[in-house]
Amino acid sequence: MTGRQKKQIINAIQIVLILIAISIMLIPIIWIFLAAFKNHVDVYQLKLLFTPTLENFGVVFDAPYYLGAKLLNSSIVALVTVVIAIPIATMAAYSFSRFRLTGETAMLVMILATQFVPAVVIILPFFVMFRDIGLLDTRVGLILVNLAIVMPFAIWMIKGFIDGIPLDTEEAAMVDGSSRIQVILNIVLPMAAPGLLTAGIFCFIIAWNEFLFALILTNKDAVTLPIGLALFKGEEGDLWNLLSAAGIIIMLPMFVLALIIRRYFVQGMTMGAVR
Amino acid sequence: MAEVRLKNLTKRWGDFVGVDNQSLEIHDREFLVLLGPSGCGKTTTMRMIAGLEDPTDGEIWIGDRMVNDDLPKDRDVAMVFQNYGLYPHMTIFDNIAYPLKVRGTPKADIAPKVHEAAEKVELTQFLDRKPKALSGGQRQRVALARAIVRTPKVFLMDEPLSNLDAKLRVTMRAELKHLSREMKITTVYVTHDQIEAMTLADRVAVMKHGVIQQLGTPDEIYNDPANLFVAGFIGSPAMNLINGSVQDGMFVTTGGTRLVKVGIADRADVILGVRADDMNVFEPGEGDIDVTIYAFENTGESTLLTVQWGKQRVIARGSRHLRKNQDDVVGISLSPEHLYLFDPETGVRIQAE
Amino acid sequence: MRDNTLKYLLVLPAVLVVFATAIWPLVESLRLSFTVGRLNKPNFPQGYLGFENYTWAFWEEPAFWNSVWVTGIYTVLTVALTTLLALGLAMLLAPGGRLRSGVQTLLILPFAMSPALIGVSFRFMFNPEFGLFDAFFGAVFPPLADISWLAHPQLAFAVCVMADVWGWIPFLTLVLIGGLASVPPETIEAAQVDGASGWRVFRDVTLPQLAPVLAVVIILKSIFSLKTFDQIFMLTNGGPGTATQTLSHYIYFNGMKYGQIGYSASVAWLMVIPMIFLTYAYAKFVFRKAS
Repeated sequence: MTGRQKKQIINAIQIVLILIAISIMLIPIIWIFLAAFKNHVDVYQLKLLFTPTLENFGVVFDAPYYLGAKLLNSSIVALVTVVIAIPIATMAAYSFSRFRLTGETAMLVMILATQFVPAVVIILPFFVMFRDIGLLDTRVGLILVNLAIVMPFAIWMIKGFIDGIPLDTEEAAMVDGSSRIQVILNIVLPMAAPGLLTAGIFCFIIAWNEFLFALILTNKDAVTLPIGLALFKGEEGDLWNLLSAAGIIIMLPMFVLALIIRRYFVQGMTMGAVR
Repeated sequence: MAEVRLKNLTKRWGDFVGVDNQSLEIHDREFLVLLGPSGCGKTTTMRMIAGLEDPTDGEIWIGDRMVNDDLPKDRDVAMVFQNYGLYPHMTIFDNIAYPLKVRGTPKADIAPKVHEAAEKVELTQFLDRKPKALSGGQRQRVALARAIVRTPKVFLMDEPLSNLDAKLRVTMRAELKHLSREMKITTVYVTHDQIEAMTLADRVAVMKHGVIQQLGTPDEIYNDPANLFVAGFIGSPAMNLINGSVQDGMFVTTGGTRLVKVGIADRADVILGVRADDMNVFEPGEGDIDVTIYAFENTGESTLLTVQWGKQRVIARGSRHLRKNQDDVVGISLSPEHLYLFDPETGVRIQAE
Repeated sequence: MRDNTLKYLLVLPAVLVVFATAIWPLVESLRLSFTVGRLNKPNFPQGYLGFENYTWAFWEEPAFWNSVWVTGIYTVLTVALTTLLALGLAMLLAPGGRLRSGVQTLLILPFAMSPALIGVSFRFMFNPEFGLFDAFFGAVFPPLADISWLAHPQLAFAVCVMADVWGWIPFLTLVLIGGLASVPPETIEAAQVDGASGWRVFRDVTLPQLAPVLAVVIILKSIFSLKTFDQIFMLTNGGPGTATQTLSHYIYFNGMKYGQIGYSASVAWLMVIPMIFLTYAYAKFVFRKAS
């Protein structure tokens, strides 16, 4: 066998392995997609051929499930969390990126570390406090605790983007006659805009998918989509066609957002330890 | 229009000394080049003049004003950056107009000034584009136009040509020279390229380890170097530095060859400096000394002979028509009027009596 | 305004938010962990107990040790399996080209999926009657046919591990592809020219240069494995019995279902301790990169 033939065989094996891997990764997702369009009979059978129906999507928005309310809660909570987090994170990220502060490393480590604190530890005191001040089962309460998980990501991610803006440009603006605030508004923000959008989307996905806080803090009014999944447990077990339809509503928007910012996912998740 | 005065200027980062107690007067309308290897403090000096770096000690004066405590925006300087520092999200027009806008120039005055500046650097047809759509040379011109759109007290240029390819650099150098002679504004120019320094400067300050080694016209720097560092740094190929001693008024190499008459008192240790151009190449036996060729290089406009001289290698420049081979023997003689002697301990030039 | 004032003003809001949303609850949890802290009794948190909650967990609670054990095995298995499989997949995908970069793009999808939904979908896939993976395992290995996976302690645990590995492989693969891309190709080419076989090139040249990225991946994955909650909650809810009860789930259960805030805070703090070491190790990598 020549070296060339050997290479071709190896490449063929690799392609087969890649196809197997990607099938395993995609099948559960595809299966949910299929189940969402099956009626309540077909879904309890292992079949690929069926008459697709849209009725599940109607049912989940109706009584008694009212998924629309959960969708609204998820959207508001994730959006407001991002709208609060990004400006605050941007200010801090700029300062961390461009200045030397006393205690800078300590602050950055603290921010990094909070990301790794188990959510159950954070939520216990919040639950007690919210119970006392009446923030249980409110979107406001949920937004507050979501900031805890989103802020460290946002700060580190935006700091990475600002680090990438050449210092030359800012210095040029200063020599050209700008004050520091003008530099930030006229130069840094426009240049960092794609990065801010990316960080915003990233944080939106995290807040949207957040589960434990919503599970503990909400029970009726402020229930978000992931918690809403628990609704579809009927007397006789899981209602898989409805679960799947709800699943699509949860994951499809996130797929679109994730694809938009896919280049930055790794950097964001690792806080710059890997680029 | 203004002069720039640095008084005992020092910049330290912890234990590291970037600029060490330097004083320097840059005359009104003068083109001064700060020249030196990387890390010599030249860029730091310029950044302190711009206000981008705070001095640890000393004073900076622009005109009649001590500017140490002024923000960059209040110093009335314009700067061209090594990587140009263009605003990628603005058009070329807006880039050039930015210094005017941010300083509150009336709207009606901006457009004519931008066009005038763009015309000077031949950019008028690119004003609607963004920097990304421009070539390196064109970006360089934008940076230049942004500097000349106002009439600042001082121009600061930080290695403005170093990101251009060799050919473009020569063209832009000439354009810069033309512009600077036309505008007559005090200019501080930082470079590590001695050709740029020689061609552009009214005066050159050669720096090393945060200290100005010599301040003078390009002529003085080249023909009358103050010390070993300046001698070795200026000129291409670098000046040959030969170890030896002076006996009976003659320079004797460490190998014992009596070479050439020098006008200084006898001493044990001395370094003789001689430029490749001042070493004349002859047929064997016709020069002061015969040497073997270690390498022969033809650059087209001349030839370079690296010759083995005892334990040292020395470079001589031959005529463009000279053809020799490795290991050939040639005669060499030195022009006595272009020799430099240095103290090996201190590096200081020993002037002939 | 001078930069010296401005720079602190700029970080102030962020530091305050982080303090309020992370540092304060951490400290407050520690305080609660020394109290009785029963939610369903008046005068919460009902006075201090000293270390009693901690000693209770250590000496009186087999369920605590069970969840430590479950979490430990779970972490070791998921970290090892995810890292190895992701490394293999990254090696397969790293060369690029249309198919491979297309697959890289698709990998983002499972990663963008809510972990709770991953739990749901795996419960679906392993349903004994109409689960696709259940059918597949049954076909390949008949003794497993029509088994009720989630009703069997070891098999339920295995499903949890599989769901976790499935959910994390994409992210780790993408990180490792990035790591592989930063290995200078000249070093690999030099080794090939020097006559090393494919395996030797990988072992002697690629792997050592990939080591820092691998370390980051392993630390990060360990942290997330230790914290696992969402999937388990949706997949098995800790069951059958307590066969899949991780520490996070144990804390949630005691705190929220039984209202023992003081006790669960003490267990939560026991969980913080390994996190401190992992975070320290991780921070070292982040700051080495930054400097």
